[in-house]
Amino acid sequence: MSLVIDVQNVSKHFGKATAVNQVSFEVEKGQIFGLLGPNGAGKTTMIRMINHILNPDTGSISILGEPASPKSQERIGYLPEERGLYKKMKVFDQLMYLAQLKGLSHQAAKNAIDFWLDRFEASTWKKKEISELSKGMSQKIQFIATVAHDPEIYIFDEPFSGLDPINSEMLKDVILEEKKRGKTILFSTHRMEQVEQMCDDICLFNQGKAVLQGNLRSIKQSFGNNTILLDFVGDSEFLNELEGVRINNRSTNFAEIRLLEGASAQNILQVAIAQAEIQRFEIVQPSLQDIFFSTVKDTKVAD
Amino acid sequence: MINSSKIWLIIKREYSTRVQTKSFLLSTFLTPLLILGFMGFIIFMTVSDNEAPKQVVVIDETGRLLEPLTQLNATRYLPITASQSIDEIRDQIMADELDGYVLFDRSFLSEGTPATFVHNGAGGITFFESLRSDIRDVTRQIRLEDNEVSEAIIEIFEERPALENRRMNEEGVDEQSNAFLSFSGGILIGIFIFFGLFGYGAILMRSVIEEKTSRIVEIITSSVKPIELMLGKLLGVCLVALTQFGLWIATYAGVTILAAPVAQFFINQRMGDFQNSVSALDATGAAANVPSDIDLSFLEQFSVDPLFILFFFVFFVLGFLMYSSIFAAIGAAVDSEQDSQQFMTPVMLPILLGYMLNFRIAEAPDSTFAIIASLFPLTSPINMVTRIMVSNVPIWEVALSIILLILSLIGMLLLAARIYRSGILMYGKKPTFKELFKWVRQA
Repeated sequence: MSLVIDVQNVSKHFGKATAVNQVSFEVEKGQIFGLLGPNGAGKTTMIRMINHILNPDTGSISILGEPASPKSQERIGYLPEERGLYKKMKVFDQLMYLAQLKGLSHQAAKNAIDFWLDRFEASTWKKKEISELSKGMSQKIQFIATVAHDPEIYIFDEPFSGLDPINSEMLKDVILEEKKRGKTILFSTHRMEQVEQMCDDICLFNQGKAVLQGNLRSIKQSFGNNTILLDFVGDSEFLNELEGVRINNRSTNFAEIRLLEGASAQNILQVAIAQAEIQRFEIVQPSLQDIFFSTVKDTKVAD
Repeated sequence: MINSSKIWLIIKREYSTRVQTKSFLLSTFLTPLLILGFMGFIIFMTVSDNEAPKQVVVIDETGRLLEPLTQLNATRYLPITASQSIDEIRDQIMADELDGYVLFDRSFLSEGTPATFVHNGAGGITFFESLRSDIRDVTRQIRLEDNEVSEAIIEIFEERPALENRRMNEEGVDEQSNAFLSFSGGILIGIFIFFGLFGYGAILMRSVIEEKTSRIVEIITSSVKPIELMLGKLLGVCLVALTQFGLWIATYAGVTILAAPVAQFFINQRMGDFQNSVSALDATGAAANVPSDIDLSFLEQFSVDPLFILFFFVFFVLGFLMYSSIFAAIGAAVDSEQDSQQFMTPVMLPILLGYMLNFRIAEAPDSTFAIIASLFPLTSPINMVTRIMVSNVPIWEVALSIILLILSLIGMLLLAARIYRSGILMYGKKPTFKELFKWVRQA
C-alpha cells in the first residue's frame, strides 16, 4: 500500500504555546483515517499543516510522495471546521472561483459544478447569493466547493458539527462512496462515538501529542473484552457498591461498566440481579471514548 | 514562486464583483454630475448676483455725491424725492421695495465722517464691496477736481496697468496661464488623491475583514498563498479605482475638448440670427456692427496635459499599493472594523499631513518645504501631483520621488505580507503593536 499522507516528527509552536509536539503518522491510500481528540488538542493545526496553510517548525509532511506544496494543495479537498463562503456572491460564480483556484480549467470547473449541483438537486440555486440560502443549503454548497476539483485526498475538519441529521447522513454516504472510488479520507472530530463505525485507522491527539494510533480494530482488540453493557429496571443504588470498576456512562436504567484489574463480571452480575431486574447483560470491547480516557490517564501517569 | 494565474483569478473576482455593484455605478456617474452641478450653482449664484439690479436711495447732505453716483450707475443709485421722508424709505426697505439707502453726512467730504449704508441684508459682501469702491472712486474724483489737479495727474490715477500671466512650458515656449486656475486645480487634485487613497484603502480593509470573519479565507489559503491573495486583492481594488478615475478623466477630457467647438457653434448660430434680423431691419445693407469672433481660447486652459494624467496615475497607483498594503495588514490583524481604529490612526497621520500641507504647497510649489514633502514617500502621492499641476517640477525630482515611492512600497508590502499571513488565521484577541512586530519578525 502506498502512503498518501506521511507526517514525520512534526512540531508547531505559537509563541510559547506548543500546538503540535513531535507527531508522526501515516495514512495509506483508500483509508478513512480519524484524527481524534478533545478540542484544543492540536487537530486543526495539524490539518492546516497537511493543507500547507501553515508550515511545521520542525519535521516533514509528504503528500502523495512529495513535500507539501502549492501543487499538493490542488490534490486535496479541504472542508474547514469553520465553514465560510462569500455571502454576497452568486452560488455558481463562487463555486467556479474556488474550483479554478484549485487549478481546474474554466470548462472542467463548469462541468464538475453542474454535476454536483445536479446531484444535490441544487441546480436552481445557481444564480442565488449565499445569503439567500438556508443553512442546510449553504452546507451543501460548501461541500461542493470541497469536492468539485475531484481531489485524491479529502480532509474534513469536524465534518459533522452543525450538520442536521439529513445532511449528516448524506455526508457519511458520500464519504463511504468516495472511499470505494479509491479516495483517501482524513477527518478530525472530538465526537468519537460518531466515527467508530467509519474509520480504518485512527490517531488520538491530546495536548499536541499523538497518544495512540493504529488500526482501530486491533486497538480495540488489544484492550480486550472488558466492558459490560447493562440494561436494568429498578434502583440503581447497587452501582455504587461495585468494586474494581469504573462506570463510564450511567443513566436511570443503563450503565456502561469498565472492569479494572481483578474485577469479575460474574460478581457484578450477582450484585445486580440481587437488587434490580436485569434486561441486558453484555460483555463487549471498550468504546473509543473509553480507550481515549484510559490512554490519556496512562500518559498523564507516565509524565 | 508566485502563481500569477491564480493571482489573476483573484484580481478578476475582486474587480468584477465591485464594478457590478450599484454603489460603484452610482458613485461613478453621480460624482461628476454633482461636481458639475455644484460648479453650475456657484456660477449661477455669481452671475445672478450681478443680474438682479439693486436699488439704493442716496441721501446726500453734501449735495455733491448724488450726481456722479447716478452717472456711474443710474439703476442702482436713486435720488431721494422731495416728498419722501427717511421713515418712508425705511418702510420701503422693510417691504423689500428698496434694497437700502446710503447716508452721506454734511461733513462727509470736509471732515471725513463715514457714510452709512442701511440695508435689509440682501446683497451680501460682493455688493457691499462694489458699493464701497463706487463711493471711493466718486470721492477721489471730487477731491481731485477740488484741488484743481492737472489732467495728467488725473489720468495717472485712472490708469489700470495690465499684468499678463504667462507660464513657460517644457519647450521654453510661453503659454497663457491662469495662476488661480492651476492653484485651485492643484488643491482639487490633492483632495481627489486623498479621498482615492483613503476611500479605496478602506474598501480593501473592509473586504479583508469580511473574508476573515466569514472564514472563507481558510478555504482560499488552502488553494493559494496568503501573499498571492493579498496581491490579487490590492491589484483588483486598484483596477476598480483606475476604472472610475479613467471614466472621470475621459468625461472631463471629452467636455473640455468639445466645449470650445460647441460654444463656438452656439455663438455662431446666435450671431447668425442676430445678423439676419439686423439685415432684415436695415434694408440699406450697412454692415451691422456685430463682433464676428469671440475669443474662446480661455477654454484651452482647462484642458489637461496627457503627461500630467500619466503622472497622476503613476503616483496614485504607487501610493495606493503602499497605503493599501498597510490597510490589508490591519484588516488581517483585527476581527472587526471597530478594532481597526487603534491601528488606523498612525497610518492616517501621514496621509492627513500630506492633505493638510497641500494648500501651502499649491501656494508655494517651489519652496524647500514643498520639495521635501513631494519627495517624502508617505506624502509624495498627494504633494508631488499637486506640485506638477501648479508649477514646472524638474524631471529629476519627479523621477527621484517615484524611485523613493517604489522602494518604500516594496518595503511596506513585505512588512504587510508578514502581518497579513499571520493575521488572517488568528481569531479572538485583538493583537497589540508588540505582537504585530513579533509576527513580522517570526516570518
